[in-house]
Amino acid sequence: MFKKIGHSEIAKLLSEWSKESTVLVPTRADGVTTWAKWDGRDVSFLDWYRNTVVPPKSFLLPMLEEMFRFQKGKDGYSLELPPSDGRKQVIFGIRPCDARALAIIDLVFREGYEDLYYVNRRNNTTLVGLACTSPYDSCFCTSLGSGPGDARGVDLMLTTAGDQLLIEEVTDKGKELTAGASGLGKAAEADLISAREAVELASRKVTRQVDLKDTDKALLANFEKAEFWEDIAAKCVSCGICTFLCPTCYCFDINDEMDRQGGARVKSWDSCQFALYTRMPMENPRVEKWRRVRQKVSHKFLFYPLSYETTGCVGCGRCIRRCPVNWDITQVLNSLTAKVA
Amino acid sequence: MPQLQHEARALLEQGKVDYILGFEPGTLKFSTTPLITKNKEDCARLVVNPFIANNLSVYLPKLKGRLGIVVKGCDSRSVVSLIQDNKVARDRVVIIGVPCAGIIDLDKIEQLVSRERDEIDDIVRQGDRVAITLGNGKKEFPLVSVLADNCLACETPIPKECDILLDPTDTLVTDPSAGQQRIQEVESKSVEERWAFWEKQFERCIRCYACRSVCPVCFCERCFAEETEPQWVSPAPHWQDNMSFQIIRSLHVAGRCTDCGNCERACPVNIPLRSLSKKMVDLVDELFDYKAGTDKSALPLMASYEADEAEGVFR
Amino acid sequence: MSEQTEFEPKLVGFLCRWCSYAGADLAGTSRKKYPANIRIVKIPCSGRIDPLFVLKALRLGFDGVLVSGCHPGDCHYITGNYRARRRLALTKKFLEYMGVDPRRIQASWVSASEAGKFTDVVTAVTNEVREAGPNRLFTEEKEKRATATA
Repeated sequence: MFKKIGHSEIAKLLSEWSKESTVLVPTRADGVTTWAKWDGRDVSFLDWYRNTVVPPKSFLLPMLEEMFRFQKGKDGYSLELPPSDGRKQVIFGIRPCDARALAIIDLVFREGYEDLYYVNRRNNTTLVGLACTSPYDSCFCTSLGSGPGDARGVDLMLTTAGDQLLIEEVTDKGKELTAGASGLGKAAEADLISAREAVELASRKVTRQVDLKDTDKALLANFEKAEFWEDIAAKCVSCGICTFLCPTCYCFDINDEMDRQGGARVKSWDSCQFALYTRMPMENPRVEKWRRVRQKVSHKFLFYPLSYETTGCVGCGRCIRRCPVNWDITQVLNSLTAKVA
Repeated sequence: MPQLQHEARALLEQGKVDYILGFEPGTLKFSTTPLITKNKEDCARLVVNPFIANNLSVYLPKLKGRLGIVVKGCDSRSVVSLIQDNKVARDRVVIIGVPCAGIIDLDKIEQLVSRERDEIDDIVRQGDRVAITLGNGKKEFPLVSVLADNCLACETPIPKECDILLDPTDTLVTDPSAGQQRIQEVESKSVEERWAFWEKQFERCIRCYACRSVCPVCFCERCFAEETEPQWVSPAPHWQDNMSFQIIRSLHVAGRCTDCGNCERACPVNIPLRSLSKKMVDLVDELFDYKAGTDKSALPLMASYEADEAEGVFR
Repeated sequence: MSEQTEFEPKLVGFLCRWCSYAGADLAGTSRKKYPANIRIVKIPCSGRIDPLFVLKALRLGFDGVLVSGCHPGDCHYITGNYRARRRLALTKKFLEYMGVDPRRIQASWVSASEAGKFTDVVTAVTNEVREAGPNRLFTEEKEKRATATA
């Protein structure tokens, strides 16, 4: 079902949603585009927002999360789970790539194995997508079977249609948000056409392309070639930017933070690019840098396709945009397939 | 530029080096990327322009063989600092010096024109001005308004320790007061306000360690931040641990940091790290009259002492 | 208000085993009185001091840190105290820039025979840290507010 809303009505809509849920919107703070709880007024992000630096996965897999507290008593330790935050959250303005990324994380933490912390948050989260109008030069979503208007993965999809926003109700969860909401009009055929044109225009702006036809084959064929990977990894400095800012990366570390009486078990982000990754429970099997870089590429473009029939990459381009040495995954992928051909 | 390509190619051809470390055009607008190669044909891709921001000396300690490295003034001091710390031998590196005319700070340009870098059509440096093209429009700004802060404060744009010095392309326009401005802003606050300021900055740190990874003088095999017995800082990004990490990192690089500005440039969440590193550079100079990476035969700062210095600190 | 009068600072003292620790020992055996606010950690040489110790002490909630070693020229290991001086001078100045009250980070030269100087130093340092007030540097914002109104 399609509806539409005028820009001037958005604030009212967000206010209504704020009564029931925590509404998160893009904002700019200290020069960084990030997510924040909506302040009840400002919707100017509709004019300038392209995408956030840290992806919205941080609201489902928090950077830092207390799993439980423990206390030493007379009869040993007692455990206490954190108060369950049952509050609903609406991520307003999530980009199609980041929403698809959450669907990919679902494969790991919701389907098959259920991570309660993740699943609870995920169930309480509604994703309101906003189709891109000005993709970055680092975006390459169209090469991954997606695009600036891709509604798979969101609950509601908003697309610019002239001076209005077209609303597509993608899931029942999305319909719950629009049901009874004020300021929504019925979309006409012309609005649909106008929205489609906007998406097509945006798609044409995604100029970065990768050919993934034989990538998995090339990765398999070159998997053991140390020299090949050493070349690819040469300029990588092994920081965690590409993985931490990746909307599908989910690796975590667990630590007990203790004082004398007890403490908390906390979970925080970890990165396969760190030399000491998994060193705590055992050894890091990927001591050399090239093995870590190979893991990053192979996990997303070989292991994911093998296990889940999808790539573990959505083409958001953050890893390219933010890499301090311009290590570019698209360049690597293209050189891989060129090598096989 | 042909001069650099020619020199680098000759070094490889004559077998004087095994690798060339330089810059080639990056895959994003106005970006460059490190080029690390054994192949003489690759030398044709080497560039020198106002966007060669990386400090390539970060790669030196881990690369084997003889290395030809392209350096700016600040980077050359990092190389010297690494020589002082025995992380690389002087006779293992052939230093190709770029007389640096300053690095353009793309964040400043984005702010000036209210556009992100990929939406800008062209940035051209013309002497002490810079012309920015946006669609059909062209805007001009003084160079000092777009140069990186560390360049504005630069005292050594021309590499002193080098084997080959390239011809200058332009002269550096400095403005030391502008380079110092942010540090003075912090100093104008009360101690309580300063701590609150830094607390706010470090709340958004994601602990990606990019600041450490791009830093040539953060060469420890195992960083104190990852020690577990004892665990000095939690690996989880509490602001307290983020801040502790950065305070100690600053102290560890004291006397080694050359204010190349790459920690701040790498930070994905815009933490003003240079406001720490530059202050440390100033303190080291003020207290011990020491400038990092200016004398390859000198002992590292913390491995030496004078009998009469910093006397007010001890009762 | 009452907090100011009741506040008793907790200090950690890192004392070199050759001079300052022996000085503290002498103060004890000579029955000289000094504030009980200080907890002493014996270190092999003031040169052993690492900025991490100072920061970790503040992180653990100590209100002040004292580092004490042999007088310049008297180091058992010849140069350890000179190195400590470099490190500590930088640590103190840098932490002041970050927002740590410089009164919280203190250093002294106390020889094995200077029991009097040791008690004077500990007394003076305790008083200065008392003036600086409780260390709330690393407490969470909400806890800070809670303690301020308590």
